[in-house]
Amino acid sequence: MARKGFRDVLADLEAAGELRRIKKEVDIRQISGLMGQSPEATMFENIKDYPAWRLAGAIVSTRKRLAISMGCTEDKVAFRFEQALNRMIEPVHVDKAPCQEVVLEGDDVDLTAIPYPLMHVLDGGPYISGTLVVSKDPEFGVNIGSYRLMYRTPKETGIDLVSSSDMRFYYQRALDKGKPLEIAVAIGTHPFDMLASSYKAPIDVNELAIAGGLHGEPVPMVRCRTVDLEVPADAEIILEGELLPIGWSADEGPFGEFNHISGEVKWNPIFRVKCITHRADPIFYLLQMPWENDWLAAPVVEAAGLQALRIASVQPVAIRAPVGMCGYWGLIASIRKRPGEGKNALCALLSVAEVKYAVVTDEDIDINNPDELDWALALRVQADKDVIIFSGARGKHIDPSVRAWAMGKGALPTTAKMGIDATMPEGIPKKLYQRSVYYGKDRAKLEDFS
Amino acid sequence: MSPLAEEIVAALKTTPQQFSDVVDAHMQVPWRQMLKAWGEVRAADILKRDDNGAYYIDAEG
Repeated sequence: MARKGFRDVLADLEAAGELRRIKKEVDIRQISGLMGQSPEATMFENIKDYPAWRLAGAIVSTRKRLAISMGCTEDKVAFRFEQALNRMIEPVHVDKAPCQEVVLEGDDVDLTAIPYPLMHVLDGGPYISGTLVVSKDPEFGVNIGSYRLMYRTPKETGIDLVSSSDMRFYYQRALDKGKPLEIAVAIGTHPFDMLASSYKAPIDVNELAIAGGLHGEPVPMVRCRTVDLEVPADAEIILEGELLPIGWSADEGPFGEFNHISGEVKWNPIFRVKCITHRADPIFYLLQMPWENDWLAAPVVEAAGLQALRIASVQPVAIRAPVGMCGYWGLIASIRKRPGEGKNALCALLSVAEVKYAVVTDEDIDINNPDELDWALALRVQADKDVIIFSGARGKHIDPSVRAWAMGKGALPTTAKMGIDATMPEGIPKKLYQRSVYYGKDRAKLEDFS
Repeated sequence: MSPLAEEIVAALKTTPQQFSDVVDAHMQVPWRQMLKAWGEVRAADILKRDDNGAYYIDAEG
């Protein structure tokens, strides 16, 4: 079977009744509001003043759509990602690429020619939100990440490079030499590529090898036209250019963040675009914040939780990073428990860097059913014995409760973490948890009496 | 600077505005024309930000 790309995902979503096509002409200023109202992923096929373009978004704004894009069931998303981490496939080079059917350089570079809308009321400008950014360091090699780009001028964007990342490290190294850092930005790639780019891989691991593991075959890469980098050949759009050696000196933001809160103005570098390439009939991908970001984050955090559980010799049955916690700050897991492993599992889950809230329960509980989980919390937990709280762990600036806003510039916040062991306590006979069952439910079938 | 860019500058000298306010004030202007005018203002290096993230330009700027 041929490797699937961005357009195949759109086709799969449509086949599942999860894609809405809007053929009526829309002004670009209407797109964010319309997409926010659509229960399905949305494809805008007639954008005023952009006759050659279409725009698709919200393609993984639910776990169901993420699972469709990954070709698995919703409960297997994390296991699918974990599997890819264990069977990475390096990308391969190709000479010809759909993403270079149109090449625009010099005076033809014009970011206003790409239809990306203003997404939120308080955003500092229109944003390109769904990116796969390639950079390279002469010593450490290629890095892939995902960074937002805010429109500044027809040839420049802001880029959020505040948080610690490998590309930030590469940029700092270039900056120390007074040099720009070349980058290339791919837009409209398969969610596998986006998932891999959001994984914090060791610096010597090419994230696209993880994407290859997810695809089951190598990601084809083509050489850029103006920078010494390679990009996914089947992307819709590529922006080539460099981060100017100006440090963190240009205003960027606010942007509706993945924590569902409008962020603050940040000080960041500027990305100067030297070349734009795209398909002959390009589809711009609008990553719908916060939902798509959160659903793309969740499998990565869940896979980290699975790995932590296995290192702790605990057998996981199911795991979920709730999107209400932004797919980032929380993990809920069910385990096949041996005595003491409820607490071991909690320690493991809370060791995942971003996780500040964890719940562990038994394999008989469906962790995707809130009523089931509540039942376990009500009847298997004694707060004085089964709740773990500790403080002073590494926190994240954009969590308002860590009070980073009250700290000095550059200070790193810390956070408390809490775990709840909702497994059956040791020493309580299992028969005390025997659930009541309706008499005769297997003999009399409702459909026979309707 | 284009007349539209000058209009944006004049407005931002009067009162701080979010980018969405600037967009709302020019709904009849084609989107690309609006963005290009915004780019001119950006390129002039006169934009400042207040505590709410709103853009403004010093009156003497």
